[in-house]
Amino acid sequence: MAGTARIGVDVGGTFTDLVLHDPARDLVHTGKLLTTPDDPSEAIIEGTLRVLQEAGLTPADLHSIVHGTTLVTNTVIERTGAKVGLLTTAGFRDSIEIAKEIRYDLYDLFLEAPPTLVPRHLRREIPERLDVHGTTLLALDEAAVAREATALVAEGCEALAIGFLHSYRDARHELRAREVVRALFPDLAITLSAEVAPEIREFERTSTACANAYVQPRMKKYLDKLEADLARIGFTGRLYVMLSGGGIAAVREAKEFPIRLIESGPAAGAMAAAFLAKLAGLDRVVSYDMGGTTAKMCLVEDGAPDHKFDFEAGRVRRFVKGSGLPLKVSVVDMIEIGAGGGSIARVEPGSGLMKVGPRSAGAKPGPVCYGRGGTEPCVTDADLMLGRLDAKYFLGGEMALDPGLVQRAFATGVAEKLGVKPMDAALGVQRIVDETMAAATRMHLAEKGRDPRGYTLIAFGGAGPVHAWNLARLLKIERMLVPLGAGVASALGFLVAPPATDMVRSYVARLERLDFAHVNALFAAMAAEGRKLLEEAGADPATISFKPAADMRHVGQGFEIPVPLPALEIGEGDVAALKEAFFTSYQKTFGRVVREQPIEALTWRLAVSAPGLDIRIGAATLAPASLAPRGQRSVTFETHGTLDVPVYDRYALRPGMEFAGPALVEERESTCVVGPGARCHVDAHLNLVVELNG
Amino acid sequence: MDEGFDAITLEIYWSRLISIADEAAAALLRTAFSTIVRESNDFGTVLMDVNGDSISENTGGIASFSCILPRTTKHFLAKFPAETWQPGDCVITNDPWLATGHLPDITAVSPIFHKGKLVGFSGSIAHSPDVGGSLWGADCREVFEEGIRIPPTRLIRAGVRNQEILDFFLANVRVPDQVSGDLEAQITANEVCAARVDEFLGDTGLADLQGLSRALQARADLAMRRAISAVPDGVYRATLDADGFEPDVTHIVVAVTVAGESMVIDFEGTSKQIDRGINCVMNYTHAYSVYPVKCALDPFTPRNEGSYRAIEVRAPEGSILNPRFPAAVGSRQLTGHLLAGAIYKALAAVIPKQVIAECGGAPTMRCLFSGQDQHGDRFSQVLFASGGMGASPHRDGLATTAFPTNAGAGSIEAFENVAPLVVWSKQLRPDSGGAGQFRGGMGQEAIIEVRSPGPLRLSLISDRRDHPAQGVLGGKPGAAAEIVFSDGTRPHPKSRTTIEPGMKLHMRYAGGGGYGPPSERDPAALAADLKDGYVTDAAAYKGDA
Repeated sequence: MAGTARIGVDVGGTFTDLVLHDPARDLVHTGKLLTTPDDPSEAIIEGTLRVLQEAGLTPADLHSIVHGTTLVTNTVIERTGAKVGLLTTAGFRDSIEIAKEIRYDLYDLFLEAPPTLVPRHLRREIPERLDVHGTTLLALDEAAVAREATALVAEGCEALAIGFLHSYRDARHELRAREVVRALFPDLAITLSAEVAPEIREFERTSTACANAYVQPRMKKYLDKLEADLARIGFTGRLYVMLSGGGIAAVREAKEFPIRLIESGPAAGAMAAAFLAKLAGLDRVVSYDMGGTTAKMCLVEDGAPDHKFDFEAGRVRRFVKGSGLPLKVSVVDMIEIGAGGGSIARVEPGSGLMKVGPRSAGAKPGPVCYGRGGTEPCVTDADLMLGRLDAKYFLGGEMALDPGLVQRAFATGVAEKLGVKPMDAALGVQRIVDETMAAATRMHLAEKGRDPRGYTLIAFGGAGPVHAWNLARLLKIERMLVPLGAGVASALGFLVAPPATDMVRSYVARLERLDFAHVNALFAAMAAEGRKLLEEAGADPATISFKPAADMRHVGQGFEIPVPLPALEIGEGDVAALKEAFFTSYQKTFGRVVREQPIEALTWRLAVSAPGLDIRIGAATLAPASLAPRGQRSVTFETHGTLDVPVYDRYALRPGMEFAGPALVEERESTCVVGPGARCHVDAHLNLVVELNG
Repeated sequence: MDEGFDAITLEIYWSRLISIADEAAAALLRTAFSTIVRESNDFGTVLMDVNGDSISENTGGIASFSCILPRTTKHFLAKFPAETWQPGDCVITNDPWLATGHLPDITAVSPIFHKGKLVGFSGSIAHSPDVGGSLWGADCREVFEEGIRIPPTRLIRAGVRNQEILDFFLANVRVPDQVSGDLEAQITANEVCAARVDEFLGDTGLADLQGLSRALQARADLAMRRAISAVPDGVYRATLDADGFEPDVTHIVVAVTVAGESMVIDFEGTSKQIDRGINCVMNYTHAYSVYPVKCALDPFTPRNEGSYRAIEVRAPEGSILNPRFPAAVGSRQLTGHLLAGAIYKALAAVIPKQVIAECGGAPTMRCLFSGQDQHGDRFSQVLFASGGMGASPHRDGLATTAFPTNAGAGSIEAFENVAPLVVWSKQLRPDSGGAGQFRGGMGQEAIIEVRSPGPLRLSLISDRRDHPAQGVLGGKPGAAAEIVFSDGTRPHPKSRTTIEPGMKLHMRYAGGGGYGPPSERDPAALAADLKDGYVTDAAAYKGDA
């Protein structure tokens, strides 16, 4: 019998974060060390041994490790993946290069298209063709498959993707092509578009297959090594990975479909917010995670983050939609904008106005106040100048900040050019970055037909609690919640994520003309596959639940909306109910219905999940209880000018304590700003709950 | 200049007003019924002050629309003076001369009130799925054939819909549900914009938008003037020819005069208007003249009415760039999209690092199929696809990308699911990018087979058969457009015909022009092109052919 403790490990670009939880001992323990980019498992092993030792445990006490990684996304961004060959339907060799034919920036004459993962000379045409019903128009030329695959291997391809037209409808040509290649090259990694993303739209599906093939060899090698290293230190529990959709899965799925880990890290933050929302009984939440380079916002309703089924990876311009490679994967639907502590302020030469971000000073040289050579003022510098941060208590005092450098940087960098005082320039940086985040959040919600009023903001990440009060104010949000350990809270997501996966198949037909036997067979296949994946991911078979849905639209429309289905098996008698369900979803999304037009379904989805674990946050690291401020600081607010503000010690606060804003609450990795007019109380889970109009 | 606003507040307010236009655009996209708005990006939203001057526009739509909407609004104000507008009004038109140059685009403008006072207007334009008349084409003789024309009309008066007018309009279109659905989406977008502006004024305590509007226009104006004054003074001329409609070639003549911080773009000498649907009204001519200048000189400053104040555009009345009513204008893009190429050609000598060569995708090439599918259901589908962009001084032209418009393309699998057509190929056209130091973007070839039970109607709207996209500063032209049936016959590129089941249509989209002499091409770039098969004729691309 393996142990009871679990560890969540997030391998980020700079740091590897670990969080250990042992329900049997009511213990939560965290750790942080530098990522080892050449072999990320080094830091995982070292970190695991360290937190175990600090908690007084051994590897044998571990029940499981849940792992999130940026390896997949970095491989795509840095273009360090495998040499991939692609077999496509003759006539469609260039689908992944022609793409959507859109300029992602209307005014840039010199913009760059995202480079394809498979260059044209490694894309080979295979005579074969199915039509929309899966009927053969042209039989598969197996000799061509053998010939082209051999040529690609001779070219040095380490992995192969196969993407044929209409394979979402019928995969038989792709399956047969794989058999032909396997017979020749039994060890070659092969990705079928119909398996990795069985959805209509050839560009996106093929692009996903190529990306999967591209990251697969490196990811497999990495996971094999990690398993071996963990075994070597005596770990006998299960290793799981975090999927982009926020579910956990077995390592086997990660090796077969590594592309599903593309948003592995960011998903954890949203799962942490969902967990906190459930714990606090909040059903309408905007999750807000602001770090050094970016801010991420996500809608969390009824305890679950929103999902979407496409994602753009490896953007040419990180924050510009349309500048990356589209992937058909289930991801937590969040927006990421270039607004973080390191975002740089500058004055535009044309208009003479100030912009903040998306360029970031990153960790090196970092903001000016770090004193590591940064000269351009950043958001963190403004936060320091406005009194939100303590020069002496940054990272718990480990790092001294230099206010003098910041003052000079603001004076010469922006204030002079704008003709304002340095303090006003700093306030301007804060106003602009907060407005930018507010606009992006409003927009994200508006696209879903939501209004931020009535939602609660859950803020975390190092910079999140610093800016949350002002962001909430701009959004007319009345309540915000900040968890204990906000700077590392996203790692909690690894421990609370449920085993879950999203299955998909496309089959296009008008509701009146549906072949129900076919639909039911699709769902039966998805259910069986989903069940197998979840059992591998440690789910109790009795607790697995299924949520079927279909993407539908009116005939003639170019976009679909998800519609929940009543059951895994449907028939002729359900058509009226399907239509009503479509109208209900349509009304919810668009605010009206059009009853006359016929309806068609395109894609069928099955969300498969089992319950996640609840964890209790222990009280081990707290200081003695006290509501006495440990000091006072001058803080400048846009709305109230400069005020003397009490500073509370986060670790001394206990459930039930209450105080009025303006106030600052400091913990090691972050500071929570409570603005004037707000009231803050500490809830039973040690969250700060701030009522803006308290 | 800043009307009492400090620079930081100005930046914040400007961003906020842009995000209001974006939110209106999101509402339009979200609630539009038809595919055309989404798939071809054919829409725009603009926030205007009480004078009808634009303050902000949405980020992603068609650039020309935001330029034209304020002009249309001023026509509305001439007919319905400011004091007559009431909350809940919505005025529409699709008049080509007052609005965007052809009937399918519907412009809708609503007033914005704050504390009972008229403070501005919210406007939207969207390409309607149908406006009656003939099937979309380029060969009509008069605008009357091209559909129903709606003069500026109060579709909604103080919140009450004029149902008779709406019924009258919808009775004249082929797909009334889709048309009314899209119109509702425009009204919704205008309402969202108006509500957000009201909220914005409440939040900021401003009484109206006028001071802010003047300040933001002044900032945009200043940025453009700074950019123009960096261009040496002088008169820069160019001519450009396109197929037009035989026997008339379209001959564009442009003189760009730069004097200090202002610019005049004059099309004196351009072809006369003709009795076919490729005439381009002055509004469209203006929009497609100032847009390429903005891209070349001042791409980063947000746009508003001030952006284009320093630029004057002239075209002789009665020319193909300023036709008199009732000229046919249905495919005015076949002429209007050429202007960017002409202007860049004129400016190439003086600002060579800021322009690109002519684009194969200017103008766009479209084939529209319409008829009945195997179930007897009516369908009408346009295959969206683009030629290649002209090469730039910094890199090869983008393949299969439209400029100056930004219509995208959809999935072939989705296309085949809604029309009885099989697309046998849609891939890059090797050797179609013009040779040069930087190569023009490649066009593409699509092969479409008719698989319907009966014959279909085919409408072709294209140019560049006889006039490929020219290179610039020594660059070579891209490949011309070609349209060929599988039996070897070539349909007229601007025609409406019938196509029989089993017939295949080969659509070859033009390549973009090259930049700089081919002899200066980096040998490694040529080797890579040969390896990837973008180029098969090495000699031609080395410049020694």
